[in-house]
Formats: sequence, structure tokens, C-alpha cells
Amino acid sequence: MPAVKEYTTTNKPTWCPGCGNFGMWEALKRALSELEMEFADYSVVWGIGCHGNGADFLKTQGFHGLHGRALPVATALSLTRPDLKVIVEMGDGDGYGLGMGHFVHTVRRNVDITCIAHNNQIYGLTTGQASPTTEHGMRTVSTPSGVLEEPVNPIGLALAEGATFVARGFAGDIPHLTELYKEALRHEGFALVDVFQPCVTWNKLNTFSWFRERVYKLEESGHDTTDRTAAFDLSLTTFHDMTCTPEECRIPIGVFYREEDTPSYNAGVKASQTPGWRSAREPRDISDLLASFS
Amino acid sequence: MSQHDNEPVEVRIRIGGPAGFGIKAAGQTLARLFMHAGYETFDLTEYPSLIKGGHNNYLLRVSTEEIFSHVEPVDILVALDADTVRLHLGELTEGGAVIFDPEAVDIDEIEGVPDSACLIDVPLKQIVYDAGGVPIMRNTAALGAVLGHMGFPLEYLTDSITAQFAHKKPEIAEQNVACATAGYEYASEHGCAFPYEMAPRERRGGEERILVDGNEAAGAGALAAGIGLYCAYPMTPASSLLHFFAKHGETYDVVTKHTEDEIAAMNMVCGGAFGGTRSMCATSGGGFSLMVEALGMAGVSESAVVVGLFTRPGPATGMPTWTEQSDLRYAIHASQGEFPRVVLAPGDRDDAFHLTWQAFNLADQLQTPVILLGDSYLSDNRQSIPPFDTSRVEIDRGDLIAEGEVSEYRRYAVTDSGVSPRALPGVTGAEQIVNSYEHDEYGFGAQGEIAEVRIAQNDKRMRKLDLARTLVPPPAYFGPEEADLSILLFGTTKMPVREAMKWLERDGVSVRMMQLVTVWPFPAEEVSAFLGEAKRSAIIEGNHTGQLQGLVREQCLVDVDHTLHRYDGRPFSPEQVRAFIEEVCG
Ligand SMILES: Cc1ncc(C[n+]2csc(CCOP(=O)(O)OP(=O)(O)O)c2C)c(N)n1
Ligand code: SF4
Ligand SMILES: [Mg+2]
Repeated sequence: MPAVKEYTTTNKPTWCPGCGNFGMWEALKRALSELEMEFADYSVVWGIGCHGNGADFLKTQGFHGLHGRALPVATALSLTRPDLKVIVEMGDGDGYGLGMGHFVHTVRRNVDITCIAHNNQIYGLTTGQASPTTEHGMRTVSTPSGVLEEPVNPIGLALAEGATFVARGFAGDIPHLTELYKEALRHEGFALVDVFQPCVTWNKLNTFSWFRERVYKLEESGHDTTDRTAAFDLSLTTFHDMTCTPEECRIPIGVFYREEDTPSYNAGVKASQTPGWRSAREPRDISDLLASFS
Repeated sequence: MSQHDNEPVEVRIRIGGPAGFGIKAAGQTLARLFMHAGYETFDLTEYPSLIKGGHNNYLLRVSTEEIFSHVEPVDILVALDADTVRLHLGELTEGGAVIFDPEAVDIDEIEGVPDSACLIDVPLKQIVYDAGGVPIMRNTAALGAVLGHMGFPLEYLTDSITAQFAHKKPEIAEQNVACATAGYEYASEHGCAFPYEMAPRERRGGEERILVDGNEAAGAGALAAGIGLYCAYPMTPASSLLHFFAKHGETYDVVTKHTEDEIAAMNMVCGGAFGGTRSMCATSGGGFSLMVEALGMAGVSESAVVVGLFTRPGPATGMPTWTEQSDLRYAIHASQGEFPRVVLAPGDRDDAFHLTWQAFNLADQLQTPVILLGDSYLSDNRQSIPPFDTSRVEIDRGDLIAEGEVSEYRRYAVTDSGVSPRALPGVTGAEQIVNSYEHDEYGFGAQGEIAEVRIAQNDKRMRKLDLARTLVPPPAYFGPEEADLSILLFGTTKMPVREAMKWLERDGVSVRMMQLVTVWPFPAEEVSAFLGEAKRSAIIEGNHTGQLQGLVREQCLVDVDHTLHRYDGRPFSPEQVRAFIEEVCG
């Protein structure tokens, strides 16, 4: 079983000092180590953004895909490699903007993927434009007069599409996040962990201290994680206008919802039960097919 | 129309009517029964992109000799509506027959019906009514009438009906047989003498035949190659390949996914290839546009993927159900940046089978995308052909390490050939990134921006194109080496040109044809040699701008003497090709 530090590569992280990505990185390494995952047991697929640069720092045989397209790559990997746990790391612009279509469809398919969203409510890598989760009214380089749209509600969307595991974490609470990751990784089916990941450079509103003053843990609040309606109600209380006080904005983190007995998409596909490369060791016998053409 | 003993016999049947009448299915029943009766068949379906309404028609060519394409004339026109008569009257051969229901077609109202035409007014609707059937059975009655007119044994049709409806309620088969029989009897009694002797026959050498379209052929090739993942978003003319895998995927262990869009399809194929699974997607031009970014990713990440690009006339939505050869440059150039790719252009069904399994080998050997460039003419239409020679199928997965352990591994090791060892996820010691960013030998993006690293990786990838030249299928040549005209072409134009060559040979005009099987990397040396030896040269291609001609100019610094283009959505006909050749050979 690799120790936490063995899950790193020799590359030095390039994130800005103090970036929320560090906490997410640390929590994932801890979760993998505590679950005793060997390097041959999992594979991570990244999208493009600051979050994606993590591909250089986490030890895995992984895939650094296109902006917004990590989920389809991961879906295929999951459906053709039952021997691997497939993890996606995506950004909020990446996964909830460009890749929104894939997100919704992957959720409703319940493909066996652990999907971690680095939700910094901003486009980090491209220098601070508003993202789909940027709060209404916030001024950014692409919205000098403030964002006019309502933010995407990832938790609510996932629930609406029948997600079987929905959680939210905070990069500023590594032990709590580690536990969420472990639960998500153990889940068979699509597991979303949307993580508040403060971008210290471009998002001056949703900072570590802003969240610390507002987050509370669902597991300490008596929330029933099998109650989808309650989970949905909670998802609606996430975003507030920018001036809300810590007393007014109480933001839940933890597991919103889970159901364990729903079969994953993978379980319904016979061909997904063995690694796909095994089918291509010698030419297939297609004589029956040819007979059907005659 | 007259028949001599040794002369080949050939009959062309066109069935036309409004869309939604099951015309294609009826036509294919006819094709199959003639194939079973020892004839060669080639069909061409023309249909608008509508489910109901609009004019649909199905053209079937039946012959005793080897045939390569459809032809223009029609000997028997089955008109389920008046439009069919109006639109296709001009194709009717001297003494040809029109089979129609007088209730649906007022033949006297239609101008220009030649006196020589044999008009067979089969009461299709009444026949169906008498048999207690449903309106779609008019097709069956019409097929019966076709055979009755030809004097061809009815059992071939009734047997096929019985087999076709074996799993339905017995009265369905019974009603269909009754319709077929009544149509048959009516036409034999009320028709005119059929000029040919058409009887079931022994095929030359007694060989077997299969009836397949291009997509079925490509699907069979992919299955033989061990495909494990097929992803697609429906788009004519590629949709039937999705249906093929949806139908056979369960039996043959192929994960088949109708994705949310073509972007997902192409990215999924990259994910499948990353896991070591032979993975393919296919689409038409519009869907391919959505795939392009991920196609480039397959190039830079060195992913072994196979992509079908089956052309319809473009741009944008274009003409969904028609054909063209206007995506040649698109297939070769699509994507920002530069990377090696292979583009193969099947010219017929046998090519489609063999090039598809070869595409998977090339993708693995070169670790780069391989594009199969087809079109509607190939995808949609069936021909009777000898069964594919599956003994030729080989699997070569290239430098692949699927299991176990590696040491001192570098996913993108710079090698002389440009190909680096490819260890799959799950192989211990291979923890590296397959990357859409430029990257170093380990796949890490951060170092990819160092100038020397970029150059080394880019050079390494592009070297694979030199390797590709030694692996790809060579051009195919047809006709005598010394010829009056040398024709260069790619893809499905092969079919009508081969047909025209057959006719011209009988007339003493010799034609040599070079079919570019691999269009990229472009076989410049072979093309230069071919054109250099030509007495007269021509390019025939189904597009407006002369894309192949442009490539020849660019890659070989030469030009051809003559060109023939077509871009009305229809494939070249052998008649058109013959007229062109006769003109340029003057
Ligand atoms: C198709 C495409 N469009 C645009 C870009 C440029 N781009 C790179 S990252 C990014 C946004 C990043 O934001 P997010 O996904 O939230 O990631 P973060 O940097 O915040 O982690 C954009 C627009 C791209 N790489 N590809
Ligand atoms: S820009 Fe923001 S998200 Fe990106 S590394 Fe810096 S702090 Fe982190
Ligand atoms: Mg972001």
C-alpha cells in the first residue's frame, strides 16, 4: 500500500501559493492511500484548467484530455476497463460550462466514475473570467458590470438527473474532504464531489475565510442522506447574493444524497465485464455474421 | 431488347413511391431472391430525408455477369404513385414495362408515355383488400407482379416471405403470400411478353454470395479486427453502422454507445483506446466537425483510434441522404496543428471490409488516428459479392504492453521510427500521462513547452508518417498497362468507372485506372509514375473544386489532361463515365 507521499510525481506543483487545489490534491492522495489503492487499480482523467495541471503532480497512469471533455474519456475507460477505478478531475468552467452536456448525461447514465469538480467559481487558467458558477453580480474581467446570470447549481442538477451519490466538499477542510473522497470512491456508480476550491488569485469573493464563516457539515446537522427531496431543498440554499452575511448564508458540505442499490450503467453492459483489449488478441470468428448476409 | 444465347442477361427494376411505403425493404427482398437464384445484384436507394411523403425509389440491377455499379436505364418501373412514372419515364428502355395500380396512377393523364411501353395495370389495392391485408402489402403484390411479368418462378418470393415473417403471426405470412400470388397471376395474364429468359441459374463456379452494403462491410471488418467499443451519434449515412453494432454488439462483446453528441463519441473513442480497447466512431461531415478537436487530441496523445467519415453533400446539413466526394481535403486536414494521420478510402464493399480491419492495425502500429473516408453511395447500397476472405485478417497491435510490469518506461520515448512503447493503465511502472497538451517523454505537460522538447516530440510524431508509407495499403490498378486513357480516382467512383471500363473494353477503348486506396499519406511517387506513363490522363471525382486534382498538383507538381466532376448528390453513372471517356479519347 503506497504511502500518501508516494502518490506524487517528481514534478513540482505550479499552482499559485495558497490555491485551493493543494488541499484537494492532498485529500485525494490521502483517500487513495487509506483505501490502499495500488497504482494499477485506478486511473485519473483531467480536463483543462488550473485543476488540470494536477495531471503532472498526481501519480497515476492517467489521461489529460480536452477542456470540458474529461467525462466522455472517463466513461469509455470505465466501460471498457472494469479492473480500474476511474476518477475525473474537472473544473467548473470545464465541467459545468463547456462540458455541461456530458455532465448531465453521465450523471443520468450512472456510469461508474468518481467525479471531482474543482469549483473555484472562476476561470483560473485563462485569467479570471466569470465561470458558470460565479455568483450573480460578481465583477470579473469578462463581466465588468457584474454577472447577470444565475449560477449553475451542480448539486441540484445532479440530483435532478438521478445521481446516486452527491456530495460537496471544501478544500479548506482536508480531513473532511478525504472522507468524502473515500465514500465516493467506494460508491459503485456515478459519484459527484463538488468542491469549493478557493482561487486566491482571481476570486476575491469566495475566499477561504468567506467559506470558513459559512460552511457547516451535513452529517452534524441530522440530514438524512437517503432523502432526495431534502437534499434537493438543501441544494437550493447554496448561492446567495454577494452581500449576505455569514449568519444569512449557511452553506452545507458533506454528503447530500446517496443510494446504494441502483445498478451502474456498467452493470447493464455485458461487454463491460472484461477489459476490451482482450477481444483483440486474435481475429474474431464472424462466420455466423457472414451467413446472415447470405 | 433481344436475347442471344451467350449474351449476358440484365434486367433493371425501379420501384418508386411516397416515402414511408417500405420501398427499400421490398426492393431488398427482390435483390436477395435474385441473388439466391444465381444472379448478381446491385442496388441504389434514393430517398429524401423524410420519413413520410416525398419521392422514394429503389433501383435494382440484376445480371448474369459480374457488375460493378448501378446503371441508368430501367426495364421494369414499379410505380406506386404517379410521380414515379413522371420522374422515371425517361429511363424506360424500349419495350420496358410500367407496373402500376390504376387506382393510384391515372396513366392517361401522364404525358410522354411511349407507345412501346408495356403497361401493366395491377389492381394492387384491390388485391390487398381481397387478401385481407394492410396497405403496405401493396409492395408484396407489386413484387409478385414483377416476377409474373418476368415469368420468374413465384416460389422464390413466397419462400422468402415465409422466412421473413416466420416469427410473426401466421396470417401475416399468409396474407403476403396471397398478395404476391395475385400480383403474379395478374401480371402474367395481363402483361406483355417479357423479352428475356429469366430463370434460376447455376452461378459460375457455384460460388456463394452475400448481400451487403458498405456499412455492413465496415462493421464486419471492425468485428473481425476485435473492436471492443463503438460510439456514435446518429447521422446519415453513418447511422446504420450504429444500428449494426447495437444489433451485434451484445453477441460479439462490443460496448456500443449512442452518445449525447459527436464530441462525446470521439472523446470516448480516445478513452477506449487509452484503455487498450480497439475503438471506433463514425459520422458524416457535420458530426465530424464536432469531432475535430478530439481528433487532434488523438494525434498529439498518440491514441490508436479509427474514425469513419461518410460523406454526404455539404456544407452544414447539406443533402443528408445523397452522396458526394467533397470531404477529401477535410479528412486530410481537419484539426489545428500538425500530426500524422492515415486516410483510407474504400471504393467498394470488399474494400470497406478489408480496409476497416487494416485501419485498426494501422492505428495500433502507428498510435495515431486512421480515418475511413466513405460516402452514401457505399454506405447505403447493397451488392451481391463473394463472402469476405476472412483468412486475410490479421491482428497487429503494434508496440503494446497490456499487462504486467515495465521499468524505465517512457510513454513518449523518442525513437527512430517515432513509435514509442505503449503500456496500458494497469501495467505497473507505467504511471504517466497520456496528454492532449504537448508533453515530454513521460507525458508531462509542464516540460512540453520547452523548445527542444517540443521539437523532439513533434519530429517524433511526424516520423510516423514515414513509417506509415511503408505500412499502408498501396494503390490499386485496373485495366491494361498501355491504355488510351489513364484515370486517377479515389473512393467509390471506382465502381461506375470499372463498369464503364468493362463496356469500353468490348468497344476496343482501353482504359487504365489507378484507385488511391490510401489517400493520406499521399502516394506521390506512384501517382507521378502513373501520370508520367499516361498517354492521356484524367481525374474523376465527385466534388466541385477538384480536391484530388489539387492534391496531385501540390504533391506531384503535375496536372492531368481532363477532369470530370459531379456534385448533384448522385453518384457518377457508368453511362456518364463512358460518355466522358469517349469524348476525351475522341
Ligand atoms: C475548446 C477550448 N476553449 C477554450 C479553452 C481555453 N481555456 C483553457 S482553461 C479554460 C477555463 C478554465 O476554467 P475552469 O474550467 O473553471 O478551470 P480552472 O482554471 O478554474 O481550474 C479555458 C476557457 C480551451 N483550452 N479549449
Ligand atoms: S489562478 Fe487560481 S485556481 Fe489557478 S492556480 Fe492560481 S489560485 Fe489556483
Ligand atoms: Mg474554475
